[in-house]
Amino acid sequence: MKSAWEAVAALATGFATTFKHLFRKPITEEYPEYKRPLPERTRAVIILTRDPDGGERCVACYLCSATCPVSCISMQSAEREDGRRYASWFRINFARCIYCGLCEQACPTSAIQLTPYFETCERDILKLVYEKEDLLVDHGGKDNEYNFYKYAGVVTKVGDKGAHIKEAEPVDIKSNLP
Amino acid sequence: MDWIVGFLVLIIKLALVLGGLLLLAAYLVLLERKFLGRLQIRYGPNRAGPFGVLQPLADTIKMLTKEDAVPEAADRVLFLLAPAVVAAEALLIFAVVPFGTSVTLLGKKIPMVITDLNVGLLFVFALASLGVYGVALGGWASNSKYSLLGGIRGAAQMISYELSLGLSLVPIVMLARSFSLVDIVRAQANYPFILVQPVSFTIFFISAMAETKRIPFDLPEAENELGAGYHTEYSGMRFGLFFLGEYVNLQVFGALVAVFFLGGWRGPILPPVVWFLVKILAVSILMIWVRGTLPRLRYDQLMHLGWKVLIPVALLNIVITGAVLLL
Amino acid sequence: MPNIVIDDREIEVPAGTKVIDAARQLDIMIPRFCYHVALGSVGACRVCAVKFVEGPFKGVQMSCMIDAKDGMVVSTTDEEAVEFRKYVIECLMLHHPHDCPVCDEGGHCLLQDMTISGGHGIRRYLGSKRTYRDQYLGPLVQHEMNRCIHCYRCSRFYQEFAGYRDLGVMQSANRVFFGRYEDGILESPFTGNLSDICPTGVYTDKPSRFIGRRWDYERSPSLCINCSLGCHTVASARYRQLVRQEARYSEEVNGYFICDRGRYGFFYASHEKRPRRALVEGEEVAYHQAIDTVREKLAQISGSAGPEAIACLSSERSSLETQAMLKRVCQNKNWSGPLFFMEQSLAEKVKTATARLEPGLTVSLRELEQADFILAVGADPINEAPMLALAMRQAQRFGGRVVVIDPRPIFLPFDFQHLPVRLHEVDLYLSLMIKAAVDRETATELGPSAAEFYQTIPTLETAAVPLQEQIATLAQELRGCQRPVIVCGTEVVPQTTPALAADQVLLLKAMDKQTGLFYLMPGANTFGASLLSGDDGSFSTTLESIEKGKIKALIVTERDLFWKYQNKQRLERIIEKLDLLVVLDYVDSETAQKSDVFFPVSSLYEAGGVFINQEGRVQVAPKVYLGGTPIKQNSGGGHPPRVYGVGIPGSEPRPAWQVVVEIGNGELPPDEETAFATTRKWLAEGNPVFANLPPIDQFPDDGVRLGPALDVGSRFSLDWQTERHPKRNSDGLELILVDWTFGTEELSIYSPHLRQVEKEPCLSMHTSDAVRLGLSSGDKVAIRFDGGRVEASLCVAENMASGVIVMPRHRLLEWQKIKELPRIVRFEEIEKVSV
Repeated sequence: MKSAWEAVAALATGFATTFKHLFRKPITEEYPEYKRPLPERTRAVIILTRDPDGGERCVACYLCSATCPVSCISMQSAEREDGRRYASWFRINFARCIYCGLCEQACPTSAIQLTPYFETCERDILKLVYEKEDLLVDHGGKDNEYNFYKYAGVVTKVGDKGAHIKEAEPVDIKSNLP
Repeated sequence: MDWIVGFLVLIIKLALVLGGLLLLAAYLVLLERKFLGRLQIRYGPNRAGPFGVLQPLADTIKMLTKEDAVPEAADRVLFLLAPAVVAAEALLIFAVVPFGTSVTLLGKKIPMVITDLNVGLLFVFALASLGVYGVALGGWASNSKYSLLGGIRGAAQMISYELSLGLSLVPIVMLARSFSLVDIVRAQANYPFILVQPVSFTIFFISAMAETKRIPFDLPEAENELGAGYHTEYSGMRFGLFFLGEYVNLQVFGALVAVFFLGGWRGPILPPVVWFLVKILAVSILMIWVRGTLPRLRYDQLMHLGWKVLIPVALLNIVITGAVLLL
Repeated sequence: MPNIVIDDREIEVPAGTKVIDAARQLDIMIPRFCYHVALGSVGACRVCAVKFVEGPFKGVQMSCMIDAKDGMVVSTTDEEAVEFRKYVIECLMLHHPHDCPVCDEGGHCLLQDMTISGGHGIRRYLGSKRTYRDQYLGPLVQHEMNRCIHCYRCSRFYQEFAGYRDLGVMQSANRVFFGRYEDGILESPFTGNLSDICPTGVYTDKPSRFIGRRWDYERSPSLCINCSLGCHTVASARYRQLVRQEARYSEEVNGYFICDRGRYGFFYASHEKRPRRALVEGEEVAYHQAIDTVREKLAQISGSAGPEAIACLSSERSSLETQAMLKRVCQNKNWSGPLFFMEQSLAEKVKTATARLEPGLTVSLRELEQADFILAVGADPINEAPMLALAMRQAQRFGGRVVVIDPRPIFLPFDFQHLPVRLHEVDLYLSLMIKAAVDRETATELGPSAAEFYQTIPTLETAAVPLQEQIATLAQELRGCQRPVIVCGTEVVPQTTPALAADQVLLLKAMDKQTGLFYLMPGANTFGASLLSGDDGSFSTTLESIEKGKIKALIVTERDLFWKYQNKQRLERIIEKLDLLVVLDYVDSETAQKSDVFFPVSSLYEAGGVFINQEGRVQVAPKVYLGGTPIKQNSGGGHPPRVYGVGIPGSEPRPAWQVVVEIGNGELPPDEETAFATTRKWLAEGNPVFANLPPIDQFPDDGVRLGPALDVGSRFSLDWQTERHPKRNSDGLELILVDWTFGTEELSIYSPHLRQVEKEPCLSMHTSDAVRLGLSSGDKVAIRFDGGRVEASLCVAENMASGVIVMPRHRLLEWQKIKELPRIVRFEEIEKVSV
């Protein structure tokens, strides 16, 4: 009998709660009229950033495309005259992208970054296939410091052998001095 | 001449009832979504027209224009038939539901019921049990495991609760001494049966919710377990028919509750049809409120409630009612 | 056989097995950088440390340096060993640059794998890193010394294994450097292996530089068809382009390595000029339209001039399926042919070789490495089949003696004895040496014909030839050796040599030696071609018939007529004369350009196929990718086209056998599997050796060596003595046409990278002849042939026969002006061209 009473009381509490809700102001944020300010690290449309010297950060190492769970990133790596590796084309199919951010985590050069901008609806699905020129921006995104080629140790315009950060002068292989 | 007039009246009545039912069903959907929204501190649909009043229209257009896909491995005939069964069954029940007193028009008395069967109650049960076929066949014919599970659950649930549904009305019949719905309403001239049969009312109300597969009894379509249950594979207007059937059923049971327990169309001041509508809406709102409050039952709880609680209580209620009547 | 326990599992291994190999047999992969099965142990990297718990050694030791002994209990997972390895990796990583994202090795880098699996994630070393200047090592290998972990694999491979000296180790201590003394193209034709064996990215594959990652490639086992050895490869394709080929381990054929011709010879498959549409009179048409045209024209010719007026010419580089289907169509339709060789004498030599490869005599390339005496006759391994030279190097490295009897200036990257004799003397010198090594009694035991054969060979004394003493010493060595192998070429040698070589091997075998016979053949599927080629007709008779108008149509599958035929003018006239020339090929050859109807066919990598190498080993190359125009070529340089579509652009080419069957309106097998099954069934009807071949998907990795393929014929023939040889001409030089490693092979010349390592074509002659003509090395000379002048520079060599002039069939030389072969170049036909 006691449990029956408890059950009824529990039911009544439930109904009372929902009934009270009827008279509360809805908490819905109505989207096109009101746009909630999104945190900087919100994951939406992807960009390709540049290093502080203005060079394309992307070295087309294929890590983002490898880690992408929906395989929406494809690219072709190539070599510039100075030996710098870059993406000759870079394509993200946003019709397929799930904005998981794994590409950003995998990127060793901070090139690929997700931005809070998400309003990309299109009627033509091909317009959601972004090429490199659509993705490339003129800033460093969330990271304005890092320049991969200053650390990498490969010869490019950014630095010769031994001229990078924390590098010793090249070994003179013809010298007999100890 | 007479039969022509009779025929015309019937057609007009049918058209009015049908139109009213469909319109009401459409707006019940909106009502449910709005009301449920408010219960959950949301707005509900508010984009199509002012306050979303055009939402049912938009939904209808959407469903009509969507692709009607039939799964490759489906049993085509049954698959196409199932939604029609559900919708037709729900609509047919209204044939015996009285929604007002007779109106005298052009010297002719027109009863506000499509047909007053003297076994109206049995007719209602007969049709209500046909609804199982729609669900079971739809689930089976889809040839999909979610649909099949939903279909099986639906069949088991509807058969189980039909018993308590029927048993709960036995005392009503005993009180009214008739199977005709019109007679049952007439029998409540002095007081609605809910006052003398609250237990009956409760059992009927619960069983009705289970029969209409509404939350907390929506196991056959439990979307977080089964996709959408028996209608997972349906799209477009075929899905719409299931949907329509469900909301017509909601009205049917609202109407039946009104007829059996709330005194039908009876009420002061307002015209009978309006009273009837108000009562249907009240029952519907109660059902929505229940939906907005209670979580879904587990399958064992569902069966426990049906077989071990509702049926014994209903039987006991019959015995007691009988005893009281005899004494 | 010592019994050893590794990680609680017991295994019995042959004595002398290193612990690291014993573990490998238990499928336990102990980390390694310096250790390589082919190169052996040096113990330089210290990363294979394991804990020896019981037995003769105790504590953490290098598993690559210790032989498995009875009673040893080894733990690879012991905490101490794991920690040791972790620190070793950290030390190796001290100076390793932070450039994995731009390193082509990333993704299949041993160092990367070990660093991650060893748990060294964050660099603790705060000092500055050592750097090196990189070198230009040619177009095939990219050098990036910063990444080096000093495992010595490269120098060990390059110097010890391959025998070349121009890349090695320099400096000491923290400055150890691997490279050349100065920038320059690597001399060895095995340089590509450096990128395979380097455990990190010091040497990376330059042709595929910055193209993609291993995980993105469509990779499949494949075969090399750039010579007759049939080495195993792994081919990688990406975006419908074949981008890389690596060596695939093969127990029987090539071991761990392949040569650069095989590795980089694949560029024809994705070549920009590769024809991808069927052509009728130079107009692009749909495939079925071209088929209809050909059928119609063939029916016309057949009706008016009889089916014999249609001739077919197959090729040594076609798969067995294509060869067999063509033959079948020819037989069904009563067409002439098919011919498989353009030179009758070559066909006969190859057929002799095929017949004489008896089961007891044949050796595989890997068995040849075990030989202790290799006698190469008329073979130039580096130029004809580079991997043979590598195998011979292994034999030499472990104490074997290598002797080459050949008129050409032979170079091998190790010590060997060269007997530079004129072609007609090759047989004699071979026989002299064997006779000196084999006892009369042994020969008599083999029967009367062998005895007579032995008898008729002159003795060293009676022959009175130069180099007598050298032969005598070598014969003495041959007598003492256990596993002699005779390697016999089939291209330049006289008609009788292949049979003679086999007879001599039989004599050696009778001396209770484990003898071996190893033939070289001119093409990837020459063996198959010789099994299928009939006795009727030769290419020259076909040419005559065309000239007489008897043959009106010629169907050529996967062959460039001009490539190896010495008379270009005649071929051009012939093609003019033909009513119909149908060419099936995957390269845009000259013949293809002159064809009336052309069918593009799939390359090896798109169609797969069955090939039989020169030792009769039937091997399968599966499909690598579906084919089609590489994305790079149909995207116009920028990004790939922005269109949706089904189907692959440029995928019209089909397997050649399919086209052949359709031309012959035969019933088309639905897929490769049934194609091969049909082929096999049909082949087995003609030659029972094919009956035992397994279905195509059940072929063992190393293929199946065919049993006795043809009737051996008469052994111990005396023909070689009676055969007429051109006598030494006092007023001229005998012309020998030869192949070079790069620049003379039909398919590999499409590789832009190999073109860069090609040597400039030059004519070679002996110093005495050069003196007589007043010429010296580097002179530009011109030879007046019947078809015109051919100019080339001259290389004067001491290490070749006098009285011969050697000319490569190089793509840059117009040697097709020679017209008639054999040819004696008279002295007055050679003139110096003043530059």
